[in-house]
This record gives sequence, structure tokens and C-alpha cells, in this order.
Amino acid sequence: MAGSPETQTRSLPSVWTSGDANANIQEALEALESYKKKDPSKVVVRFKAVGNAPIMKQNLYKITASNRFQAVIQFLRKELGWKAGDPLFTYINLAFAPAPDDTVSNLFKSFSTEGHLIVNYSTTAAWG
Amino acid sequence: MTMATYRGSPSAFSTPASTTLFRRLTWEGTVPLEIRVDSKELPANSDRGLETYYIQAPRVSYLPLIVPELKRFLMDVVFDEAAARIMKEEEWWFESEEGSLLKWHWPIGLIYDNHTVSASIRASSSLAQTPTPLRLILHLASPPTEKLLLAPSAEACKQAFMGQMKEADFLRWGNTKRMTGLRKAEQDGLWEGIKEHNFDEYWRVASKITPTTTPLRSQSPPPSAAMHTRPPSADPQGATPDRDGAYNVRSVPVRIYLPDGPVLQDLVPPLLDNGSALTLQQFLSQHLPRLFPPSASEPPFRDLAYALIQGVVTPPEAEMAWLGACMSGADGWVNVCIGVLRDNAHR
Repeated sequence: MAGSPETQTRSLPSVWTSGDANANIQEALEALESYKKKDPSKVVVRFKAVGNAPIMKQNLYKITASNRFQAVIQFLRKELGWKAGDPLFTYINLAFAPAPDDTVSNLFKSFSTEGHLIVNYSTTAAWG
Repeated sequence: MTMATYRGSPSAFSTPASTTLFRRLTWEGTVPLEIRVDSKELPANSDRGLETYYIQAPRVSYLPLIVPELKRFLMDVVFDEAAARIMKEEEWWFESEEGSLLKWHWPIGLIYDNHTVSASIRASSSLAQTPTPLRLILHLASPPTEKLLLAPSAEACKQAFMGQMKEADFLRWGNTKRMTGLRKAEQDGLWEGIKEHNFDEYWRVASKITPTTTPLRSQSPPPSAAMHTRPPSADPQGATPDRDGAYNVRSVPVRIYLPDGPVLQDLVPPLLDNGSALTLQQFLSQHLPRLFPPSASEPPFRDLAYALIQGVVTPPEAEMAWLGACMSGADGWVNVCIGVLRDNAHR
């Protein structure tokens, strides 16, 4: 999970008393802002066709980690030349379909294999 | 397994009796919702003044599952016949009073808790207040499909739910054999249990995939490191009684929800390197060190924030493995919502 780089050097609040509640809230809000910063790094996604789905000539792509999985699905549809309404089912590790609002970063941290996030795609429901 | 364990052991919280109790408490949890039709979209001749519907909704349920009840009310009481005839519930969608979209595939309890912690970063909010209904606006047309991500149907919601169950299964065991090993009727039973808010129907199947809380510490009250030194991978043929134990999973399915986002997810092994159980405080210090400073390894903690799980401000010493077995939602996930402390009440 996104530990921010400056966490090692930050100093703890020098005094913790019930009187400085406002300072604590301010510090908490600043911390939240730092956790909100989008991860600009990229991760490698490997697309693998399942069943009758067409194979991609290039199947390794670097995708920005802060993207949502929905963006990966849209990217894949475009690469495959899929029209709106053409069925496409996507899975991680031949096992499950992630929630479309989950981020690539979260999925990569939990499910990457040898440095790749493996996304399987199919024209029919497979492991739904 | 026995009542004797329950009565005799100080670590009663790891016995099946208390596990069942906490699972039932989690399951029976409900939240108050106040749903108002957007006044600008209310059809002509509607009975104004009645367009607000109140419901105590199960935490484990989903918005698409309360739409039928809501629709019945609106058709019977608010809309006139002409309006009712042309009403398309496929176009309905929900928004919070502050204008954030409510996702079809989030459990209602998560929507409620996420709203609570998001309010914690705005002035004049306090957890200590009496619970107030979460105010939702129901829109009757033009759903922002791109942002809602899912079709507003119970079927789409069920598919998303099954996906979450499998993702949780994969996190715990590195495969989804437990989920895929269920018969179709059993998988459907999980969803029926949620739809009917029926604890027994859901848990008859869910107990086959949710980790157990026996028997790691039932014999030995103090959480001694020695009890946990055997790494899960060293499990001989996977045939020991605690093969399905909460402390033997590869990772506990956990997501952290910060006020107004983002959502964080990572591997959460239930045990530390020294074999002791990972606590909520340690977990939060690892991932949110600026809110939960790691310097304090035991109380008093100097946290700037608190963790809300299933509506409960959760004690920092709670073990992640236990939370995964007893406080996860029906989809198998422990949703940890982080709110900002505004007073000393929860420290």
C-alpha cells in the first residue's frame, strides 16, 4: 500500500495534549493529502487470450499504476478493435474478475506473478 | 468446539461459539437510509411531501436489492398512474446528499461507513452523535453509466459479488478452489442468503470458504510467539486440523478506505516474521504511518485517526486474522474505513 516516501523522516508531533486537537486534525488532513497523491509509476500487464479470443501480437504493456481496472478493459477493447457491445470478459490469474473500480496498483501488489499482472480475456464468461 | 472451551478459556474469542456470535452480529447489522427522489425529477402529479422513503437496510445488502421495495413504495404512494407506467427503473441511480455517486457493487454498510469517515474530515462532525440516516438522492433518469461502472441490475450485482468472493478466496489461499468447488446451487445460495438477509442460508455455504478461528490458541491463553512459528507453507500435506485456519491464510482480504478516497489494498499476511499475530495497529502503522505512528508499539497510541469496521470503532489490538474470520462482509472482505479523530473519545 502507498507508504509515502517521506514517512521515514517525518517527525512525530512533539507534544500530544488534548489541547492541540486542531493541530492534530491539521496534521491528519495533511497526511491524508499525501496518501491521495497518485502513484505515477507504471507496472507491466500481460494480456493472455482464453478460448476463442483473438491473440494479441504484442501482449506486454506498461500501464500507469493509478489507473482503474476499467481503464485496462477499455484499453484492451481498443487494441482488439472491439465495438461497443461486443462481449469481453476479463480475469486475473485465470481465477476471478476484479471490481472495475479497483486500481491497477492494488491488483499488481496483491496478484502480480514474476513482475507481471496477468490479465486473461475471453469472449465468453469463463470464471465469472 | 465445546462450550467448555468457551467458558474455560480466556481466549474465548477464538472459539467457534464466539465466532458465530460475531458473525451473526456482523450479519444482523443494519443502517438507516433516507431516500428522497430528486425534486427536479419528480414526475408531474406526484404526491409531494411523501417522496421520501426510510429504510433500515442490512449492511451486507446492496442498493439494487432495495430498489424493488423502493419502487413499490413510489408506485403505490407517490407517482400517479401515468408516471408509473413510463417509469424505467433501469435508469435509476443514487447519489449522496453531497453529490457523490453511490456504486451498485459496494455493500450498503460500506457505503454508510465510507460516508461517515468522509464526513470526519469536515468540520462539526462527530462519531459521538446519534446515528443519523444516510441521506440519499434517487435520480430517475440519465444514469452516468461510465462512472457507475455496472448495470443497475441485481444480476450484475450478483456477478460482481461472486467476483469479490473469488478474489478474496484467491488472496487467502492462492487459488479459488474453495469457491469453484461449490456446486451451482451452493453459489446461488450465498446470494439468496444476502437477498433474503438469511444468516443460516448464507453461512451454510460460506462456512466452507471462510477460515475457521480454531484451534491456534484455544489451548494457550497468552498469545505466545512459539505458537505461531510454523510458517503456513510448512503445513505437511495440508492435512492438519487448522488447514483452513484464519492464521494460516496467505493473506487476509482487506481494503483500506480513506476519507474521500483512495482505496488501498495489499497482501496482509496474518502473522509477523516473529510468528506473532499481526494486529490492526501494526497493520495501520505499516500502511498509514503518518496517521498511525509506528513508534507506539503498545498503548497509549498517538493515532490521529481511527478505524471503523462494520460500523464499529475497532480496538487497535484486534488481530487481522480474527477480523478476517469474524468481521468480514458477506463478500469476504474486511473493509477498514479510516476517520479523523476530532476529540479524545476514541483514543
